Amino acid sequence: MKGPMPHYSALALLRARFQGAGFWKPLWTGRTLQDAYDVVVVGAGGHGLATAYHLARDYGLKVAVLERRLVGYGNVGRNTTIVRSNYLLPENHYFYEDSLRRWEKLSSVLNYNVMYSPRGVVDLCLNDGDMIAAARRGNAMRLAGIDSELMELEALERFAPELATRGNRRFPIVGALVQRRGGTVRHDAVAWGYARAATAFGADIIENCDVQGLRTEAGVVIGVETTRGFVKANRVLFATAGHTGMVGTMIGLPLPIETHLLQAMVTEPIKPLINSVLIYGHPGHGETYILQSDRGGIVMGGHLDGFPSYTREGQWHRLEDVVQGAVDMLPQIGGLRILRQWAGTNDMTMDGSPIMDRIKYDNVFLNAGWCYGGFKTIPASGAACAQLVATGTAPDIARGFRLSRFATGHMLDERGDGPFPVRL
Amino acid sequence: MSRLICPFCGPRELREFEFHKTLPNAGHTPFEQVYLRVDSLTLSVEHWQHIAGCRAWLHIERNPSTGEVLVCRLARSEGVS
Repeated sequence: MKGPMPHYSALALLRARFQGAGFWKPLWTGRTLQDAYDVVVVGAGGHGLATAYHLARDYGLKVAVLERRLVGYGNVGRNTTIVRSNYLLPENHYFYEDSLRRWEKLSSVLNYNVMYSPRGVVDLCLNDGDMIAAARRGNAMRLAGIDSELMELEALERFAPELATRGNRRFPIVGALVQRRGGTVRHDAVAWGYARAATAFGADIIENCDVQGLRTEAGVVIGVETTRGFVKANRVLFATAGHTGMVGTMIGLPLPIETHLLQAMVTEPIKPLINSVLIYGHPGHGETYILQSDRGGIVMGGHLDGFPSYTREGQWHRLEDVVQGAVDMLPQIGGLRILRQWAGTNDMTMDGSPIMDRIKYDNVFLNAGWCYGGFKTIPASGAACAQLVATGTAPDIARGFRLSRFATGHMLDERGDGPFPVRL
Repeated sequence: MSRLICPFCGPRELREFEFHKTLPNAGHTPFEQVYLRVDSLTLSVEHWQHIAGCRAWLHIERNPSTGEVLVCRLARSEGVS
């Protein structure tokens, strides 16, 4: 780490104790907008900041990150902090696994504690069919060298004793697919850590700067028009997940994306109860995933709301579904009060997999369509997308994410349910 | 947007309805109709079904930024069955 930021270490903390408040500097600086850049990244969310960091560090490029609102205002601050790589399709699980390996080292790479907590991700199975599907997915992962464990009921009860597995259950829990290295990461720290590290390598992060269009000259993009004037750029990257549909409309390129809402909620804090991340697909009321934050609150989420929306307010009936699933799984939390509920806008692609590609012009790139998997891929996406923007070619693990796959029929349909952005 | 006004049943809870799809707006080829969308902050045209009620198919126009329902009528009335 170079630049004006102090290096965080035990020794530095000790020094800070005597130096007083003067030790603590703003996490990122470089807020002055220059006239010209090698790369303009649109969107200071997780993916934009991570890409800017790798562009500046690995390729020595002069980068600006332009953000319409504030750093981490969007989905990097709205997700439920889960990281995992338990995907079926090779194009997905190699990429998500690359990401998980980067999460394991990220705190020391960024010199910023992102609180990676490998507490285990538990996909619960309710019947033989679920167990067969879980075995298939688990075997696909193991073939790729990714840890995955199919647990029968006794093993699961030892791993997650808080679960209500006994008694008169309408849908008994019979087992689970467990990924022990999966878990959680503190989401805000990811945005702050990448912003701090990117500026240390010379990137400029400009907040409250809305990009309103591309300026072209003889069919070549020469920069972006913003609310703070024209910015010259050799290359432009849109990392605007959640509003990528609007980017498509802005540059006149229809995209295979719809914008849907995903909501989450958190209860009042209680003493440690849930050890891992529990995912529960219930035949009656959809899906619930649940974990306990470090502060003690029970964090819950579930399916998409089910129709296109930019409102960022979740629908009541989906909240009800999520809570019903949670109480079904863990009846002991039934009396807790929900403190907060929120929603984020998701780029839902027509096959449920992301898009990382050059679009429309030679020097314009898109990093989008992460559906509900955006947070967990931030480190891998930053590295892969930086390579795409800097060299013009994406690394092998991101080759499957081309935009042209929708036209050529090479869909990455993880759920196997056809060309729909949402299927409940 | 927590309720829809069904032409047959009147105002009903949103839970009774199921979103089916956004209507094609990006072109006329099958690829454009199935896969591509021209996104708008102010208008989304969709088919829904009153699945837990009269099961009528509905043509709905909404403002996706505010959740306001602009039009909710029977899809049948425009030749879609």
